[in-house]
Amino acid sequence: MYTRGVYALRDLTLTIGKGDFVFLTGPSGAGKSTLLRLLLRQDVPSAGHLIVGGRSLSKMSASQVQTYRRSVGFVFQDFKLIPTRTVYENITFVPRVLGQPVAVQRRKAFQVLKWVGLQHRLNAFPEELSGGEQQRVAVARALINDPALVLADEPTGNLDPDLALEIMNLFRDINARGTTVLVATHDRELIRRVGKQTVTLEHGLLVEDA
Amino acid sequence: MNAVVYAISEAWRSMWRRRGASLMAVLTASASLFVLGLLLLAGTSASRLLERWSAAAEFSVFLADGATPTERAAIERTLGSSGLVAGQAFVPAEEALRRFSRQFPDLAAAVASLPANPLPASYDVQLRPELARDPSVGRLAAQLRQQAGVSDVRYDRRWIERLLRLVGAARTAGLALVAVLTLAACLTIAGVVRLALHARRAEIEIMQLVGAPLAYIRGPFVLEGTLLGLTGAVVAFGVLVGVYLLGRDPIVAWAAGLVAAGDVRFLPLGVALSLVGGGAAIGCVGGLLAARTAR
Repeated sequence: MYTRGVYALRDLTLTIGKGDFVFLTGPSGAGKSTLLRLLLRQDVPSAGHLIVGGRSLSKMSASQVQTYRRSVGFVFQDFKLIPTRTVYENITFVPRVLGQPVAVQRRKAFQVLKWVGLQHRLNAFPEELSGGEQQRVAVARALINDPALVLADEPTGNLDPDLALEIMNLFRDINARGTTVLVATHDRELIRRVGKQTVTLEHGLLVEDA
Repeated sequence: MNAVVYAISEAWRSMWRRRGASLMAVLTASASLFVLGLLLLAGTSASRLLERWSAAAEFSVFLADGATPTERAAIERTLGSSGLVAGQAFVPAEEALRRFSRQFPDLAAAVASLPANPLPASYDVQLRPELARDPSVGRLAAQLRQQAGVSDVRYDRRWIERLLRLVGAARTAGLALVAVLTLAACLTIAGVVRLALHARRAEIEIMQLVGAPLAYIRGPFVLEGTLLGLTGAVVAFGVLVGVYLLGRDPIVAWAAGLVAAGDVRFLPLGVALSLVGGGAAIGCVGGLLAARTAR
């Protein structure tokens, strides 16, 4: 609940199974991004509980939040790449700030770059990449730490339909390896083409789970 | 270890990227530390000088013309029984004249041309160092002044005390100035680090989202502040050494007779290291002030 009694989400009961691929859809202001922020523990609910992997996010201490976030990958519409760092540095940034050895950083980086098909662009800076390539870098960064859960907030919002499908195929591949994927998007056509479980929100309420 | 390596590389990268602002922070820190160093240098030299003067301070008892042996014996008894005196020496009028001629050669001829020796005989009295500042010394001087055969008593400690008070006041004013400059340096460094923090807010957000430890998030900023302060301190130290080497001989020559070369010495090693460490500490505080918003 926001201040002045406005609800971002209310009466929401939702269970997502381990290894599921779920689309979260609805119009702007429906509460999609709020739910993702709650799942990333950027916000805490004013009432109710969020349980991820058996742990209540509301009751976590600051250090537990740090540990929890290490098991979550995230992808945003605006990519959130660091403009002053190369593709390789952007991707290794995560294991680096988690204190992993350089050899491990390098091995993981080459793995995920190969996975997203960008091994030939590792020395490029974000501004030298197309929108689709930048989002693939963001996906690679989300995957480098082998997350159990990937959260994506409008990851194809800045991409044309073909590139959007390409990114969705990457998410499908990630999901096929056992990772739970939750993608927030308002692109109904894309959801239809990918064909996965869809949760629809409106004004903070769950209106459909199909 | 990884956190330290990461903090060093990121701090260096950040300082280099904003080298203009970094230079300004370094100069501000070095200005305040240079003033502090200069005050310490002047303070320790003044203390050393006053210590030497204090140790050499004499209690001089000038005799009246025609003081009789009985009166002199009485004076010696007064000095001896006071318990304040470490040693005393009778200086005849002729010896006083010779000393005067040695110390003031320009005036020696003029004094020699006088029909009679104008300088009186005296006693040079060495006080016991531990009692040299005791109030009873003043009472002894007053007692001697009343004694037959004494024309005057000169007690050097009075002006040394005044000088000590003056040095103390100058030190207090200097420390106030240093406190203001230190605060300015600290806030300048905090400002520069805050700029770095602002420029890297995207990275910080990502670090927060991936669950990076606080040491990784704040470490580079604290280290950046520390390095800026340390660099400022090293610059200040270098300038201080230069000023000392260039200024020592002219000062000793200018104040010849009052100041000896041994009085003007560089800061003791511990003080010098504290100065450099202090610079790093100022920077560290500035970095901490700025970094506390990143969590």
